[in-house]
Amino acid sequence: MNLPQDLKYTETHEWVRVEDNLLRVGITDFAQSQLADLTFVDLPEVGSDVESGDEVAVVESVKAASDIYAPVSGSVVEVNEALLSAPEAINNDPFGEGWLFILKPSDMASVASLMEPAAYQELIPAE
Amino acid sequence: MIPARLCRFPAPLPYGEAVDLQKELVQLRIADRIPDTFLLLQHPPVITLGRRGRREHLLVSESRLREAGIDLHHSARGGDVTYHAPGQWVLYPILKLSTAEMGTHGYLHALESVAINTAKAAGVDAFRREGMAGAWCGQGKFAAVGFAFTRWVSWHGLSINVNLELSGFDLIVGCGLVNQPVTSLEKALPSGNTLDLDAVGDEITRQIESVFQRSLHPVSSGNAKEFRCQL
Repeated sequence: MNLPQDLKYTETHEWVRVEDNLLRVGITDFAQSQLADLTFVDLPEVGSDVESGDEVAVVESVKAASDIYAPVSGSVVEVNEALLSAPEAINNDPFGEGWLFILKPSDMASVASLMEPAAYQELIPAE
Repeated sequence: MIPARLCRFPAPLPYGEAVDLQKELVQLRIADRIPDTFLLLQHPPVITLGRRGRREHLLVSESRLREAGIDLHHSARGGDVTYHAPGQWVLYPILKLSTAEMGTHGYLHALESVAINTAKAAGVDAFRREGMAGAWCGQGKFAAVGFAFTRWVSWHGLSINVNLELSGFDLIVGCGLVNQPVTSLEKALPSGNTLDLDAVGDEITRQIESVFQRSLHPVSSGNAKEFRCQL
């Protein structure tokens, strides 16, 4: 299972990439593999304020539906609109083209509360 | 094996009550206040539409459904439209997913395995079909899946047609699949053979233990209210 070492992770299987003062968020390889072929994505509104742990997006496959959570508090500054017509990008490239949204955190220090790759690795099944 | 609880309801549980019960269990499971829990039950006749379930897959009007004594529910699960009625076992696993036993095939595969292994034990040759979730035999589809994760705790799940009256499926395009016959395990057996619903329920229980690697502690409850008191 692909697990980039330069990202932070959440217990709910989101990944977070720090890009200057912004955070790019997606779901992990493990998460996409559990959901199988994704067919629909519901994204947050640009400009909306979210609290850490809020349900901000929904991804659905043929047979499963799963909520996606805000990793930290902040405001949504961009969403990956390409996913609306091509949600399979999440399956094909969960850490790249399959990103979901970009957050401007209310407090950059909150990133420290996220999990390191090694800790996230412990959460997911060994192959 | 991981300890888990199994609650098997002797009488059909209305769909709405089962959803309310699951929502409560999901929150308790997220908070680690209960172990993994499996609900095994039947529903009174009901048609449910998944999150993306398309209205055109319902082939009759709501008033005709009411006349026929069939409820209609919109559901938070994935998947399209399906039909439940007595004579069909419905399995709702409330599981924390991110534990080592799930492996790479994942949860969908595990649910399908429960259905396929149960069918085989009943003497029905069952299999997966590429690109079509659920479980199939030569006569058609006998098990449907549709589930949801809330904080990666699962709910909704699997239904296995044992010996229900199949005419309810004529009212829908099952799972949104056009021209795919729906069948039951009993129908798949040589004619004249019957299946005992309770015996199939016992087999499902054994398959849960083996597929999900859980040791099941049975909780007996007549209804959802009684079950809640035991939480």
